[in-house]
Amino acid sequence: MIGLQILASGILLGGIYALISVGLNLIFGVIKVVNMAHGDFLMLGMYAAYFLFTGLAISPYVSAIIIFPVFMVIGYVVFRLVVKPLLGKAETETNTILATSGLQFVLQNLVLMLFTADYRAIQLEGGATSFNIGGVMLSANRTWAFLICLILAVALYYILMHTRLGAQVRAVSQDRDASVLMGINVDRIYALTFCVGVAMVGLAGAIILPVFSAYPTVGTFFSTSSFVVVVLGGLGSFTGALLGGLIIGIVETAAGVFASTELAQVFSLLVFLIVLFVRPQGLLGKGARV
Amino acid sequence: MKKLFNTKTQDGKMFIALGAITVILLVCCVAPIGIYNKHIIIQTMFYAYMATAWNLMCGYTGRLSLGHSAYIAVAAYTSLILFRSFDLTPWIGMLLGGVVAMALMLVIAFPCFRFGLKGPYFTLSSIAVMEITRYLLTSMRELTGGSLGMSLPYQKDNLLMFQFDDKEPYLIIILIFWLAAIFLLWKMERTRYYLEAIREDDDAAAALGISVNKNLIKAALLSAFLVALGGTFYVQYYRYVDPATICGSTMALNLALITIIGGSGTILGPTIGAVLVIPVTEILRSNLGDKLSGLHLFIYGILLIVMIIYMPKGIISIPGIIKRKRMAKLANPAGGEHNG
Amino acid sequence: MAETILQVKNISKSFGGLKATNNVSFDLQKNEILSIIGPNGAGKSTLFNLITNFYRIDEGDILYKGKSIVGLMPDQICKLGITRTFQVAKPFSGLTIFDNILVGCLSKSATVAEARGKVDEILRLVKLDKKADEMGGRLTTLERKRLELGKALATNPDVLMLDEVMTGLKPHEMEEMMEFIMELKKRMTIVVVEHVMKVINTISDRIIVLDHGTKIAEGVPQEVMNNPQVIEAYLGRSAKNA
Repeated sequence: MIGLQILASGILLGGIYALISVGLNLIFGVIKVVNMAHGDFLMLGMYAAYFLFTGLAISPYVSAIIIFPVFMVIGYVVFRLVVKPLLGKAETETNTILATSGLQFVLQNLVLMLFTADYRAIQLEGGATSFNIGGVMLSANRTWAFLICLILAVALYYILMHTRLGAQVRAVSQDRDASVLMGINVDRIYALTFCVGVAMVGLAGAIILPVFSAYPTVGTFFSTSSFVVVVLGGLGSFTGALLGGLIIGIVETAAGVFASTELAQVFSLLVFLIVLFVRPQGLLGKGARV
Repeated sequence: MKKLFNTKTQDGKMFIALGAITVILLVCCVAPIGIYNKHIIIQTMFYAYMATAWNLMCGYTGRLSLGHSAYIAVAAYTSLILFRSFDLTPWIGMLLGGVVAMALMLVIAFPCFRFGLKGPYFTLSSIAVMEITRYLLTSMRELTGGSLGMSLPYQKDNLLMFQFDDKEPYLIIILIFWLAAIFLLWKMERTRYYLEAIREDDDAAAALGISVNKNLIKAALLSAFLVALGGTFYVQYYRYVDPATICGSTMALNLALITIIGGSGTILGPTIGAVLVIPVTEILRSNLGDKLSGLHLFIYGILLIVMIIYMPKGIISIPGIIKRKRMAKLANPAGGEHNG
Repeated sequence: MAETILQVKNISKSFGGLKATNNVSFDLQKNEILSIIGPNGAGKSTLFNLITNFYRIDEGDILYKGKSIVGLMPDQICKLGITRTFQVAKPFSGLTIFDNILVGCLSKSATVAEARGKVDEILRLVKLDKKADEMGGRLTTLERKRLELGKALATNPDVLMLDEVMTGLKPHEMEEMMEFIMELKKRMTIVVVEHVMKVINTISDRIIVLDHGTKIAEGVPQEVMNNPQVIEAYLGRSAKNA
């Protein structure tokens, strides 16, 4: 029974991880840039949802819809100011890592100065309840987050695979130069990808607020988890990211039950390192070693 | 021949700079400038030394480690625990800490370089090592005091035990550390060229007879050892460590920031960076700390972004840029004549 | 009788299921210029990568001065005396031209000062002496090729392997480069991968022809150029049918 419970909880946690890391995967896969401030956009999303809830009594599941377009704008501003100037220059990879690390400092400390380091959590009506399915307990909030993750993954997958825009994004992610020759406006695709990537994680912030408390450095933890999930699943591979999320979710839940939460993190990071060494293209990724 | 001459004067300039800094610091030691100012000077030299060590690996090889805190932390805890449990002098604990840090680095650097991890993959693995180290330090409560940290038992002025009541001895010790690191880097001229070649293109470097893995691992181990010594200095000076501070990303990013502002891949760049950044942030922190506790890091972040975009080679590149502009100006009219 | 400096014996290499190099053998005589030619994708650059062990061979043996060099790292092979250039020139962009050459000189010099002393001669040789202080990333195509050659020469090789040093050069630049290579022949053994037929006919002592990873012909230029199999490989089956 405990095995089944771990599996179920692990899958729910994995869904949340997958949800959080989708944006990172998109940006990493298409622009080939690591956004070190990824988790901090999550943190901003959490704060936005928190204040919408406490100030205007808007449920985070509703505010997610408001947050998405707002974060696209934030994403665009960040793209133009921080990322765009570094693309196509020497050492783009390293420099974007450093610049977005700088952004991490900026966002975390901006929030710290504005809202202090206090933990901020919300209680949704009925949020603490659990579904009991054949003796396996599923937390309601986590189940919602998991379902939303699934819906988003399907939507994103559909857009990528079955629309003209999606085809362009895929083309750019596979071969930037050839895409330019094919008349695709690569700059536009990059900007759009970054905006959507940031908006997705901002939205994820709202969705997870009923589960996790918000504080200025909460993003650092989720950044690392997202990197683990994305690298594990394979860069640019969406099914991979989902799989990566589930693996990490189950590993951490199991390690959390049998050892401790800290060791759970150690386990997932060890898995991450081993995958990096042995199969850097990820479990499902096709890309060559970079 | 011209180049040889140039290089010689560069060495000359460097020795003048080193001499000047040494003299200034020694004067500061005896001058009545107050404890607080001396504290700022020690901090500045500490970061100058640490960033120099970071730069030795990351600046010269282009393998960006944002997890160097791990090596600082394991050494700090090693010497502190040995001191607390066995009264072992930190002077020896420091060396043992260095060995532990090198061992940790080897565990990670060997597979990284063996499997050719570069770019973001290398950086992410360095962060993973730091996170693992921090989680372990936090979870081993009996040994490390967990997230509450651990303090250094006080001993009265004791050179043997690396503890002093005044600031001056610390200032002199960190000055010696720094001079030694700079001197070491300066003496490694051949390796520096190798590392730069590897940074630019490792295949091309290998084709010219440079052993890529051997040189990368050498740089990584040396870098880990040097920051490890700094870890012990940190404990002896602040008399307290906790995992979040010493094994967190802020510490690692600090070293990157300082190096990049000064000029990565150069001998004196990190020192210039530390001299520019640390005093300002220290003053900011102590004056505004209570009211706006994140302000100095907020400014750090903006500074890092602006530098990366507009001056990725750091402050040290300014004279070169001016010189090139001037030469281009001189060359242009001449070129016009030639064409006419 | 010329002395054999490098022996390639039945080497093969596959990538995935594809045989990039299939049972290729040849001998290299001291102070000759051997050209490797073949259509695009014939495995010419792969052969270079195999000899210098940037790719590990699956089968076969490579003897340099009578000793096997299989399994040695690329840098060790360079230290033994075999230096290669890359098809796409790989200058150290962030270093000056002087330092680019200096890095090459270091491998055979006891001290940095000694290496520094050798740089100017190489710079003059590849006509980059006026550009010594420029950065490696800011060169024209010809200069990049010269720098690539200069870096290789700086290691003072016995066997110099040149991968398409003529590609992208203008006719008079090609002439210049050819003269230069002929001059080098007096001091070392040279293997070239080349596309430009005029160049190959002029400089080669011998030619080997690769097609789909297999050696299909070997001999002096005249002989090889008239070989029907070679003509077919180059012009394709359609030409023969027409």
